[in-house]
Amino acid sequence: MNISEPAAFQQAFAHALADDAAAIAMFADPAMARALAVHRNTSAKAAQDALAANFPVLRTLVGEDSFEGCAKVFVEIYPPRDPRLCLYGEGLAAFIAGYGPFSQAPYLTEVAALERLVTEALFAADAEPLDGAGFARALDLDLALPLHPAVRFTTVASPAASIWFAHQPGAPPDALERLAWGEEALLVSRPGMAVQVAIIDSSALVFLKACQSGATVTGAALAAAALGADVSALVATLITAGAFRAGLD
Amino acid sequence: MDMTAGLGFKTEHLEEALTSRAAGLWFEVHAENYMVEGGPRLKALEALRDRHPISLHGVGLSIASVQPPAPEHLARLKALADRIQPTVISDHLAWQRWEGGHHADFLPFPRTEAALDIVVGNVDRVQAALNGPLLIENPSLYADLPGHEMGEADFLTALARRTGCGLLIDVNNIFVSASNLGFKAEAQIDAFAGEMVGEIHLAGHSKDSDPASPLLIDSHDAAVSDAVWALYRRLIARIGPRPTLIERDDQIPAFDVLMAERDIAESILTAGGGSYEYI
Repeated sequence: MNISEPAAFQQAFAHALADDAAAIAMFADPAMARALAVHRNTSAKAAQDALAANFPVLRTLVGEDSFEGCAKVFVEIYPPRDPRLCLYGEGLAAFIAGYGPFSQAPYLTEVAALERLVTEALFAADAEPLDGAGFARALDLDLALPLHPAVRFTTVASPAASIWFAHQPGAPPDALERLAWGEEALLVSRPGMAVQVAIIDSSALVFLKACQSGATVTGAALAAAALGADVSALVATLITAGAFRAGLD
Repeated sequence: MDMTAGLGFKTEHLEEALTSRAAGLWFEVHAENYMVEGGPRLKALEALRDRHPISLHGVGLSIASVQPPAPEHLARLKALADRIQPTVISDHLAWQRWEGGHHADFLPFPRTEAALDIVVGNVDRVQAALNGPLLIENPSLYADLPGHEMGEADFLTALARRTGCGLLIDVNNIFVSASNLGFKAEAQIDAFAGEMVGEIHLAGHSKDSDPASPLLIDSHDAAVSDAVWALYRRLIARIGPRPTLIERDDQIPAFDVLMAERDIAESILTAGGGSYEYI
């Protein structure tokens, strides 16, 4: 095989970067071996730096060294497939669930999952959010309320949202000590242009799920009211959070 | 608009970047960081574009890959270019893609006639998709590969002649490559035809951990070295002023510190009284 032929070279080099012994043997010259090490290190560092940027709370929770150890293994198993490293780390939360050193702290998986939702919300498509006046003007109880593209919501078994809040600028210094350990429902949204996370109650979660599945305003309101919600207050809160997209009319 | 010396844009410097009125100031961003559907980052870039010229610098086109550029990546770059209307779009003479994976680095290849045909085809595809010219940058090299049929300057020159692309000369990369491979940086600086050069990059480098024979690493984590400034002065004296970027991607200092370094480039560019306009 002619190693200088473009496809043969790129195949051998890519395999050598992935620590394939047969491919490494093709670049046995010491200068080449060092160059391979530089390239291996540069691309791994870029991917690990992207994870550190995309999961800052997880990194603070476990400490820099533990995070780096975890990121190194994740990058080896799930290297980037997209040049947009600002979106890298989609599978990190699921990976952490099975990552030995973190397995005694399952809330880490949920914090990582929340940070991933924050990334998704940050880069989601733009759309005019529905405001209160728009809601009143266009209200048709037989229509669905479309969710804003940046909206994400979920339930977590641990207080992942409260942990996340405790690591935001301006959080009270004793926020972590005051954690109430239990399930949380959370809403990630982007009112204005900043991503925000809110803890919501179960009726708000039911309302959002109904909207997501295309229920009418009436249907979503009945589902939330069945849980004892003050629906008009609930809708006002969700509108303030930027949960809905304008364009009902 | 005249572009003299610019800075790699960092989101933490947005307010200062928006309010700076430095003559000739422009900003460059890594295109991939903005190839997203929406949100505040794109809005910030649009605001910056309203005040200063913007250059989109790609790190993921994989122009030297045997695979053609990924269609979805190209479509996203085109959409970003349509939205931002950059003054210039660039990427590297390197490859990153292999079998669906992306190496976040600039990987080398033997500079053969066959490789040149492939890169020409890829640059043609990108320029057709963008409906405009690319600038192609020389990467940092860490070892002399077996099988080169031509030097880097000859390869880039042939690429520019065949595709109509321009060149982005990274002076730090030339210094790093020359040190690592043992050639004369001055000869390489002198080897590029001035009319092909559309932009210049300056950055800092670091040494790897082997004290016996350190490799220089293109780390973008330090100030521009004196040796790189000397090579830059030599290049500008020969070809005249070109838009010049100070790159810093790690250990990022305050905006004022970067502006002070940028002002050195500005003073070198304007010492001859000229300025350069993209045509």
